[in-house]
Amino acid sequence: MMGKLTPSASVGDVLPAIQIPLTLQRLVMEAGANRDFSLMHHDGAVAQSAGASAAFANTFFLMGMFERLVRSWAGPHIRFRKMGPLKMLNFNVVGDTLTFRGEVVAIEEAEKGALWLLNLWCESERGQTTTCVVEVIKE
Amino acid sequence: MSDVGWGLWGSWEQTEACLNTVVGEWCGPDPVERGSIRRWLEPKEFDCAIHTDADAARAAGFSDLVAPASMVLTYGVAAYWSPGDPSKAIDDEPTQIQIPVIFNVPAPCNKSFATSMEVEFFAPLYPGDVVGCTSRLTDIQYKTLKVGAGAFLRQEDTYTKQTGEIVAVACLDIFRFYVEPGVVQ
Repeated sequence: MMGKLTPSASVGDVLPAIQIPLTLQRLVMEAGANRDFSLMHHDGAVAQSAGASAAFANTFFLMGMFERLVRSWAGPHIRFRKMGPLKMLNFNVVGDTLTFRGEVVAIEEAEKGALWLLNLWCESERGQTTTCVVEVIKE
Repeated sequence: MSDVGWGLWGSWEQTEACLNTVVGEWCGPDPVERGSIRRWLEPKEFDCAIHTDADAARAAGFSDLVAPASMVLTYGVAAYWSPGDPSKAIDDEPTQIQIPVIFNVPAPCNKSFATSMEVEFFAPLYPGDVVGCTSRLTDIQYKTLKVGAGAFLRQEDTYTKQTGEIVAVACLDIFRFYVEPGVVQ
């Protein structure tokens, strides 16, 4: 990934999409790694009682995937200033293949370089499930 | 397990009494280190050398190997068990992540899920850093959704390093609601 660098950006630039299948094993690995052991993120029956069709991804995973999307495109020389609002429009459940996408919507001057404003989103077979606005600083 | 409920039970008046107060405060149990970062990157298939290689991180302007920005949320999670705590019994309610607006704030609700989150970042996390978190309830909005009647509770979390430096401030919106036991949505 480190070979990919985006030294500059323009409004309208599209970030290369990332696809990832959501398996129960991935959610269990994720829970162990991010320390969110809420049952609905690894127990299908509990997830169903909260209105989902199966165990579903948590905010930590989604935020981390949006960070990966931006980092993969922009490289190591940017700094994250803000992530969010991250809005969950629909559950991302076991069995979904998620696609993370994004685009540059504004570029502004910042105290230490340029502020890039990005609109990101996640799609499953049921359409858009999650949206996230991200601000990064390019020094 | 489908009937499992969670959250501190109480009245909406008790919920409102918590508004604009500190509802949770703790310290993450583990310092930032390479192994926990690698395990966090793994399920996301996240390949970026600044998170695994100190030289690559320095070349990018960081002072050491740096944790992913959003991983501050993980390093701020409290321990699920610590020496001196009682053992869990088989029929105890499962321990879940410490979200104070669910587990420390009373409300007439037995279900919940997160709907929105935003995090502002102020400082990078390096190996050896320890993260503390202070949570406040900052808003209550009553609402009925298709899953049930309840309220959106907004929790503001301030994450600080052992030095007192603020690493990040996060706002989390949680929808808490009531479902009759035995009802599957």
